[in-house]
Amino acid sequence: MQMATTRRNLLRSLGHAGVAGVSSALFPSWMPKLVFSPRYQNNAPGQRDVLVAIFQRGGMDGLNAVIPFGEGSLYYDRRPGIAIPEPDGSEMAALDLDGYFGLHPSMKPLMDVWDAGSLAFIHGAGSPHPTRSHFDAMEYMERGTPGDRSTSAGWINRHLLSASWQNESPFRAVGIGAMVQGSLRGASNALALQSIVDFHLQGREDQISAVSSVISSLYNIDAPADMLSTQATEVFDTVNMLSQFESRDYQPANGANYPDHDFGQGLRQIAQLIKADVGLEVAAIDIGGWDTHESQGGVGGYFGYLAGNLAQGLAAFYTDMRDYMPGITVVTMSEFGRRLEENASGGTDHGHGNVMMVMGGGASSGVYGRWVGLSNDVLDEGDLAVTTDYRDVLSEILTKRLGNDSLDEIFPGYQPVMLDIFQSR
Amino acid sequence: MQKTSRRDFLKWTGMAAAATAAAGSGWISRVQAQQGVGPVDPSWHVLNRLTWGPTPADFDRIADMGIEGYIDWQLAPEFIPDPVVDEWLSKYPYLNGSAEDVYRATDRSDYVYTLVPWQRIYRAVYSERQLFERMVEFWTDHFNVPVGDLMGEKVVDDRVVIRQHALGNFRDMLLASAQSPAMLYYLNNAESVAEHPNENYAREVMELHTLGVDGGYTEDDVKAVARALTGFTVRSSADGEAFYFDISVHDQEPKEMLGHQLPGGRGIEDGLQVLDILATHPSTARFIATKLVRRFVSDNPPPSLIESAAGVFLTTSGDIRQTMRHILTSAEFMSSAYMKFRRPIDFMVAMLRALKPGLSFGDRPWLVWSLEDLGQLPWSWSPPNGYPDAAVAWMNTSGLLNRWNMALNFPYASDGWYEDIQLDLNAIVPQVRTADQLVSAAAAAVLGSPVRLTDQDRQALAAFVTDEGNPTLPLTEDIRNDKLPTLLGLLIASPQFQWT
Repeated sequence: MQMATTRRNLLRSLGHAGVAGVSSALFPSWMPKLVFSPRYQNNAPGQRDVLVAIFQRGGMDGLNAVIPFGEGSLYYDRRPGIAIPEPDGSEMAALDLDGYFGLHPSMKPLMDVWDAGSLAFIHGAGSPHPTRSHFDAMEYMERGTPGDRSTSAGWINRHLLSASWQNESPFRAVGIGAMVQGSLRGASNALALQSIVDFHLQGREDQISAVSSVISSLYNIDAPADMLSTQATEVFDTVNMLSQFESRDYQPANGANYPDHDFGQGLRQIAQLIKADVGLEVAAIDIGGWDTHESQGGVGGYFGYLAGNLAQGLAAFYTDMRDYMPGITVVTMSEFGRRLEENASGGTDHGHGNVMMVMGGGASSGVYGRWVGLSNDVLDEGDLAVTTDYRDVLSEILTKRLGNDSLDEIFPGYQPVMLDIFQSR
Repeated sequence: MQKTSRRDFLKWTGMAAAATAAAGSGWISRVQAQQGVGPVDPSWHVLNRLTWGPTPADFDRIADMGIEGYIDWQLAPEFIPDPVVDEWLSKYPYLNGSAEDVYRATDRSDYVYTLVPWQRIYRAVYSERQLFERMVEFWTDHFNVPVGDLMGEKVVDDRVVIRQHALGNFRDMLLASAQSPAMLYYLNNAESVAEHPNENYAREVMELHTLGVDGGYTEDDVKAVARALTGFTVRSSADGEAFYFDISVHDQEPKEMLGHQLPGGRGIEDGLQVLDILATHPSTARFIATKLVRRFVSDNPPPSLIESAAGVFLTTSGDIRQTMRHILTSAEFMSSAYMKFRRPIDFMVAMLRALKPGLSFGDRPWLVWSLEDLGQLPWSWSPPNGYPDAAVAWMNTSGLLNRWNMALNFPYASDGWYEDIQLDLNAIVPQVRTADQLVSAAAAAVLGSPVRLTDQDRQALAAFVTDEGNPTLPLTEDIRNDKLPTLLGLLIASPQFQWT
């Protein structure tokens, strides 16, 4: 911590003095290297993946994202209005993955990643807690302690705190959006970032420097004594670092085309930060709208639109980051899956088991998990059962890809079972 | 908690200092340590919480009426004339009309989409019924319906559910909400039928509107309530949309919920009984009390106050006014100064009330978009739980930087930066002689009093005004005019302004 203060102060004084023109030798090792080094440099000498954690708010209908068409009538009879047809080679049916499961046709952009061997699905995954409440389920999932609110931080935050290394970059953990995701909250500060381009002090040009020093003084950022001052300190550190690179010029590689929605643009910013080598270890981003109680549609319609947004964003990120993928793990989760049987409104109510998705150079394509099927005797209150605790997937990522073995601190009291989705680094 | 005497108020506010330091607003402990400033001025605390930002007129009133007199006056909004808001609203009759009126207006003009969030801001700034508007905000979150494609229905819901009952009876409000087309569409009860009930509303009405998630219901109760509420739907006719009970899709089988047997063969009585059971359940009293105390007292609601407020709620059969009176006159409330972090809309409205701009609705609703950047566009939170209340959700880098930028830009409305906002800074900051005096006068305008600045704050602000010169020398008119907008912006950006 002593070291942290020193580095922060150095940065701050550099910021106030104006950093332009200072040689790179003066910068701490985690300063942005974009302007100095065009090639990727792993932010962490210990060889760790950057983690991108995606939360699908609202409860994704995993049974229509990765369709168990092999279940036949057990699936089709329960969903007369919204089922996705068995694969027939067309784009009006599921895209065959392994002869039993198929991908929603709107997610076709991800088939390249699947074919490249870097996309895994874990079906019947979720939280063991039975709640069907969005807010409880999200909170438990993001804390990493189902049924227990006494833990003081989110699971990603406990990962950062318990890691054997520390990293004083304000970009160590970034939450894309106006709020920081629950998984990132806790004693290790996380940055909330809406827009790289807009992350600077506004107001009169001729006053920026004076204004910045008055605000620093008002918030006492040299000795932040409370959470608000700590946030203020982070703002200045971040503004100073972002002023180093001209993000307007960012050109995604390999012709990647990020969709224009918030999720796509958020992934684009994460890609920029990874390439800028600013010390990013974890980014969290949300994609909402999955609470499909009504008119969710089948091949087309609302769910297909959402699934398409997700897939297009991820595919663009994969394309842009192809050279970096050996050092990136992307994981998706959602608070719960949805009811097997469709409701009166052509939608689905809150369910339980769901599908998680993992993308990255360290993963091996496949449909993982313990699939027990959809017959009534194995359903959980009418819902797909949870047969894989989502923490199993995260634990494997933490140990094999992020280099943190302190699982007893991240998921206290839980004994994970590894699914062997990943190679060790 | 019993009624509180004036002297008790003072005693309790004395406790505020210690408690506040623990709550994490470091600046107030610095101010108090340095200046020996005693208890927080209780009038200031009451105004900070009951209003959307105290103005000099509010100070005059509370000095006149006394603290309890002021609280009681604000608790009876029906007796408070509100001519400014009334006149403004009269220009937009569809805001007082039906959903169809609103949609017809949107066909004529795109401005409606920004006018609707704008009216929320406008009323918060200008209404004399300040506490009522804060209650409206509370219930808008509690019975959250995002406008999405329901703008017309939400305009009606705001009037006949939220505003009609904001200080009324909770059971009446719950019944109104359950029959509001906005809610029936948003949480899908409108399409719920006996063969395949839609559980969306049934679950949220227990989890979010009444019992709370730990209120003692089961998944079976969710299913039973969904069945009981089948048939609560909307019918469109020549007169517009209205609640309609459709017996033909109602599940008439017997049901059991929360230990109550609902006999078979009934119609709308099923749903009405369920709502009645929920409205009067002790878990509901506790849940509503907890949320009110969290909003009006502290992010860590004192258990003693939750307990006593829930008791008032129960014994008065859900009288919101009595419950609020109990909370606002409690010792716990009086000793909670500076424990609440302003949410983005609180921040923006407080800024507007401090600067008193003339606001007209032009074609550049800058303030609406700014609030969207801050993450709290009115009526636009999509999940059913409403915008978060506690500081932890809002206190982050992005939010803080956005506040600073808004604060630094907005006072330049006085230079005509925004075509629909007129601002006269000389009307709120009197002519003074020196930079030191200018800092004090500006602090009085924004923070209520210069005593809320530390010496370090004053020095930094005065150094800004004088470009590091001598703050005790006379200021020229040019320098005052050049520096005043940013000086006010810095005070609005200060940590002091973020807490109430």
